[in-house]
Amino acid sequence: MIKAETLTKRFGDLTAVDTVSFEIHRGETFGFLGPNGAGKSTTINMLAGVLQPDAGRVIVDGGGDPSQPAVRRRLGIAPQALAIYEELTGEENLIFFGRLYSLPRRRLRERVDWALEFVGLSGRRKDRVRTYSGGMQRRLNLACAVVHDPELLLLDEPTVGVDPQSRHLIFEKIEQLSAEGHTVLYTTHYMEEAQRLCDRVAIIDRGVILALDAVDNLIAEHGGESTVRATLSKTPAVSDELPGQMKGNILTVRTSDPLSVVARLTTSDLGITDLRVDRADLETVFLNLTGRSLRD
Amino acid sequence: MRTLLALASKDLLLLWRDRFGLFWVLAFPLLMALFFGAIFSGGSDSRAAMKIVAVDQAQSEASRHFLARLDSSDALTVVSAEIDSARTLVRQGKAVAYVIVAEGFGSLEQMFSGSEQSSLIVGIDPSRKAETGYLQGLLTEAWFSLVQAQFFNPSTARPRLDTLIASVTGDTAMQADQRNALTDFFGSMQTFLAEVDTGALADSSTGGARSATMGPRIKVEEVTRQTIHPHSSWEITFPQALMWALVGCAAAFAISIVTERTRGTLLRLRLAPLGRGQILAGKGLACFAFSVTVCAALLLFGILVFDVRVADPTLLVLAVVACGVCFVGLMMLISVLGKTEQAVGGAGWAILLVMSMTGGGMVPLMVMPKWLLTVSHISPVKWGILALEGAIWRGFSYGEMALPLGILTAIGIVAFTVGVMVFRKVHG
Repeated sequence: MIKAETLTKRFGDLTAVDTVSFEIHRGETFGFLGPNGAGKSTTINMLAGVLQPDAGRVIVDGGGDPSQPAVRRRLGIAPQALAIYEELTGEENLIFFGRLYSLPRRRLRERVDWALEFVGLSGRRKDRVRTYSGGMQRRLNLACAVVHDPELLLLDEPTVGVDPQSRHLIFEKIEQLSAEGHTVLYTTHYMEEAQRLCDRVAIIDRGVILALDAVDNLIAEHGGESTVRATLSKTPAVSDELPGQMKGNILTVRTSDPLSVVARLTTSDLGITDLRVDRADLETVFLNLTGRSLRD
Repeated sequence: MRTLLALASKDLLLLWRDRFGLFWVLAFPLLMALFFGAIFSGGSDSRAAMKIVAVDQAQSEASRHFLARLDSSDALTVVSAEIDSARTLVRQGKAVAYVIVAEGFGSLEQMFSGSEQSSLIVGIDPSRKAETGYLQGLLTEAWFSLVQAQFFNPSTARPRLDTLIASVTGDTAMQADQRNALTDFFGSMQTFLAEVDTGALADSSTGGARSATMGPRIKVEEVTRQTIHPHSSWEITFPQALMWALVGCAAAFAISIVTERTRGTLLRLRLAPLGRGQILAGKGLACFAFSVTVCAALLLFGILVFDVRVADPTLLVLAVVACGVCFVGLMMLISVLGKTEQAVGGAGWAILLVMSMTGGGMVPLMVMPKWLLTVSHISPVKWGILALEGAIWRGFSYGEMALPLGILTAIGIVAFTVGVMVFRKVHG
């Protein structure tokens, strides 16, 4: 659907994006995971044609680069900042952005109704945006991105600062769009979001893609071993034969095959009162790749 | 074009909903016009003496008496001049009217022969209907004063009646019955003047005696005035108000461009299938449309409520359009002066205020000291006010209007181009 080839962008001495290459397939939900300042928004702006790369190029299916208006017509974006007009109503915002894409009047009306329904704002369509909660404004921001029915959606941290209810709704809507065949690029610094929503994830830090693969593959390759923690009813007299290390009455096992360890422990006579498996996740992957936490 | 209209209508709607912004764009200029207009027109209810030019072609004792009587009136200021100068003064609006005292004025023949020849000729602009009637009244009053002096003062009237009787008796061309009637009439008057108490006559001279005589024959000539002075202070303050409105529009829309940038909506606009030129053109179109609308509203208010008279409506439309173009350009330039609303708002208002102060937005151009008038050449506000005044009361020709219109348009184009170039540089 869209392909980035050795994209590079510098701002003075800072290289915000450094020879980044990837391809997003049609119908795929592609995640960009990285901390703030990693280069996610800069990359998305180059993909959208707003920012001219210093090197490299972006190719959209069917030819052309996104600096051309005809190509941008196929894209929809929800920027990280709330790109909506507070003094207009939700409906007026959607009508305005829809008109920019030259939708015929009747089609525009249908799409506006659909978009408001899609993000659960039909009941507040006539209210000015400044009266909306933060979560509702985020949802409207998403609605403005989809009102013209784009093929490719670029969602730049669409859940920043929203309440859990709106966040959950946004997740559902992105999953719905994905199921309907839309191609989605989703940037976030929340690993749970990437893990839940994305088919493939690119882990980016300091302008460089460190790893790119399906979530399970990333974890398998870079996540390291899982940890199994068992609380025993009594401390065994001899601990040498145990599969892990004892500390007090807690047995900790680091393994690449946690299922087998759990099976073995549960059939033993160790008197297990509690069992917990800490599987490697994308946070662990990022930590292993960079030596830093995603929230650093 | 549909997209451009969508962009412009969105901006107009946003400004319309910004009540505080609207105050600076619409209400504040109107208040300025009302405030300064009221100050400059202070005491306008008390009528000033009407300046007239007297042309004494009779050069007689009667004409001198008549003109002296006019001059003694508090309602008139009388200056003397030759006929050509008098016409020029009236045409230029430097005098309200001229009064020609024709040859033979005050002679007995003219008064009593029934001649159709006018004794007084008044030259006045046809639009000055009230002044025409008022002046005719004053002339008639002075004429009666002359009649009274000549005929109801026995010491001066008797010799004149003797002369008149001799003249009528010797006039062989006159029909006999008319000659006899006039001779009897003048004889009766001599008898009357010989028997009457002069003191009582003087007392009654303002009453019945006057009504017994005929009035002067006054011919009114139309002299179209070249309007080179405002009819009222409102014709000075409303062009200033329009400039303040344009300043407000330019500042408001310049800040709105920065707001689009800081709020992120500019990013979404740039992601839409639009050229950057279209986005800025939409902003310019909205600014232009709002500027022209506000100007039209203020002008209409001035015309309907304060009798602002527009000398040339076509030139006024051109002036408003040129002013709009100029301030759209300035709006674009101001919008790139800073990166935040505060920076652009502060810098924009500072620049526009200096332009207004030096350009006649506060002190009218016509009363500016010479040095400030020289400084004002660099201010677009000066050229805007000049263009508006040129169309309203300065009576500019198309040729005279070309300079301010050209300068305004040029400033607008240059400022817009520079603004767009900086915008493009800043935003890739």
